[in-house]
Amino acid sequence: MATIEVQRQVLPILENPNRGARFYNPELPQSEPFVPGHRTCAGCGPSIQYRMTSKAAGDNTILVGPTGCMYVANSSYLCTPYNIPWAHTQIGSAGSFTAGVSAAYEAMIRKGKWQGKFPNIICEAGDGSASDIGLASISGALYRNHDCLIICYDNEQYANTGIQASSRTPYGGMTTFSPPGPEVPEGKKLYPKDLARMMAAGHPHCYVATASVGYPIDLMNKVRKGLNHKGAAYLMVYTPCQKGFVYETPRSIDLGRVVVECGLYPMWEWNPEKREFDYSFRPASMRPVSEYLKLQGRFGHLHAEHVANMQKFANQQWKMMGIQIPEALLRAEDAKNVTNMAAAAEAEAVAETV
Amino acid sequence: MPVAEAKKRMVRINGCVASAQAAKYADVDVIAAYPIRPYTATMMALAQMVANGELDAEYIVADSEHSQLSIAHGAASAGARVFTGSSGVGVQFAYELYSPISGSRMPVQMMIADRTLDPPGDFGSEHTDALSTRDMGWIMGWSCDAQEAFDNHLIAYRIGEDRRVLLPQMVCQDGFFVSHITGDVELPDGGQVREFLPPYKHPYPLDPRRPVSHGPQIMPEQGPPLQLERARAMEESMAVIEQAHEEFGKIFGRKYDPWLEEYKTDDAEVVFFLQGAHAVTARFAIQHMRERGIKVGMVRLRTIRPYPTERVQDSLSKFKVVGVIETNMALGSVSSGGALYAEAAAALYEADKRPLMMSFMAGMGGEAIVLKEFYWMTEKMIEAQKKGKIEKRTHWVGFEH
Repeated sequence: MATIEVQRQVLPILENPNRGARFYNPELPQSEPFVPGHRTCAGCGPSIQYRMTSKAAGDNTILVGPTGCMYVANSSYLCTPYNIPWAHTQIGSAGSFTAGVSAAYEAMIRKGKWQGKFPNIICEAGDGSASDIGLASISGALYRNHDCLIICYDNEQYANTGIQASSRTPYGGMTTFSPPGPEVPEGKKLYPKDLARMMAAGHPHCYVATASVGYPIDLMNKVRKGLNHKGAAYLMVYTPCQKGFVYETPRSIDLGRVVVECGLYPMWEWNPEKREFDYSFRPASMRPVSEYLKLQGRFGHLHAEHVANMQKFANQQWKMMGIQIPEALLRAEDAKNVTNMAAAAEAEAVAETV
Repeated sequence: MPVAEAKKRMVRINGCVASAQAAKYADVDVIAAYPIRPYTATMMALAQMVANGELDAEYIVADSEHSQLSIAHGAASAGARVFTGSSGVGVQFAYELYSPISGSRMPVQMMIADRTLDPPGDFGSEHTDALSTRDMGWIMGWSCDAQEAFDNHLIAYRIGEDRRVLLPQMVCQDGFFVSHITGDVELPDGGQVREFLPPYKHPYPLDPRRPVSHGPQIMPEQGPPLQLERARAMEESMAVIEQAHEEFGKIFGRKYDPWLEEYKTDDAEVVFFLQGAHAVTARFAIQHMRERGIKVGMVRLRTIRPYPTERVQDSLSKFKVVGVIETNMALGSVSSGGALYAEAAAALYEADKRPLMMSFMAGMGGEAIVLKEFYWMTEKMIEAQKKGKIEKRTHWVGFEH
């Protein structure tokens, strides 16, 4: 039996990636591999990301869903929102199950047991799976360079189980496992794991990028770049969770932009050919972190010193990307120059802006 | 590179290599490896076969046993024939996956070369590793030599991939006694294997042309019907198992009773009941005792899942005393010994005539059971037969006079 060469798909890159979220791009594919009718919350960031990602990937695609919100809320037995094949796997099996699917198609196509172009194989792992329990399995899949795209839909917590801290939960983020109290006023004391950079540094042959639902065309292009890259690719996507972040439902996309404008979600790509980071992405404006924090109930307990700590963290991110930091943002690193999130006046002001 | 057609030949190989040969003959598509003694030698052999171009498969070095089983699960879900394996604590590191794989009805095959669980890091064979997964919906049985190991792998694929079954299989052999002792093995013609084992085709693979959703979340009332289906598949596999063994005998010329091997049981009054490699030494010891006029025999369990309840009942109820050689630990269990006793006793509960039963903790930690120990155990059984009752249910062989 002769060996058959595996043919792969090439997806076109869309133009105007950094235009506003409400910009209509006529090049967008019509197909909807992920359809409505599931049980995700209104404004659910991960499900918005699912729609964009699957739309970018198209119909010759297989989705893998480790346990998490997008497993429990999307797939209800006897009804399914997927027009493409989808399989649940265990929360710790994100990378390994996906690797198995990818390896199976390599072998089946090569051995003449399946005819057609190699399908896009996408794993959608929550940040609990991607940064904690499934980290080793994902690292294994990236290291071995299976042709697949692994996405961490990062809602910065275990949301499905009722909002518990993950290693992606930001400093100061209130969850049921990191509640604030007199002894621990900031709630979460630890800073988030620098997951995407860790993946880029450890698996430099992979295409790695960060993205946000606030920039849909950019996200879809990164999905396509990841899929077009022969071998493994990794995306970490900011996907706000209305239930855990405690914000007004229609603001999911806004949050996805503000988090980038505040320097809390650096947007970059790792170029595996050049072996370097691409920090050329520029948000329309730069804002102090308080503008992001005040939109969300999970940060409502923070004192000025915590807000200042967050600003220091954000400024480090800007610095990392080689962006000059405006004087106002440097001043906000000092607690004297910022106010308590918990102050009554502040709360009122938040209510007005929202 | 095209793979050359195999011709029937005799080779002298150990159990690990026999398993690797079986995977090669089954033309597996995906292999998920992770090192742990003693099963590792199987994956070493497969790695070399792939490197030599003797086998066209994706050979994946996983990052853990949990990943091994997940890779196997994913690959089987996509429609590939999959081979994996493990030993000892490795079997347990993967524990989470056993139920999801059988629940999604993926006929993944896993080779086990038994190893004692930790503590304290004993390489020797005890069956507790694989037995700890026995209720997870996997077809499971033990071989006692390299030839039987080779044959069991092919038979297990045939059973597991049958549309009436669609269940994963754990094909077990004792570490070292089978995995590392060489024996004469007949490797078949490629044509014989193709005749016996049709290409794997799952009815609902993850295929973009026919989208399906695997493993959705269910409501509590939707669970029991699915569990019932899995339970029925296990029950109904019994007919398929018998059919597969019969056809295997016709094509390959080696006939196995799928459930039990009885050795010198015709007029036996006391018998050993066991599974795995200690059957080989037991046969020798029984022959030795027979020459001295002792009416002892052996019943070896070949398939433990599904459990051949009726066959065990019919067979064991013929004897006066049954001595179970456990080679596994079930701490605090009904006999305070091993797991084999409890199920054999349960199978006998409905029998008209029940033998006396005792449990021997022998072959533990990978120790060989020596001739004088077989004599000692036989004496204990004869003593019970004379007294007409069991005074001590469980004996740790070598720790009592």
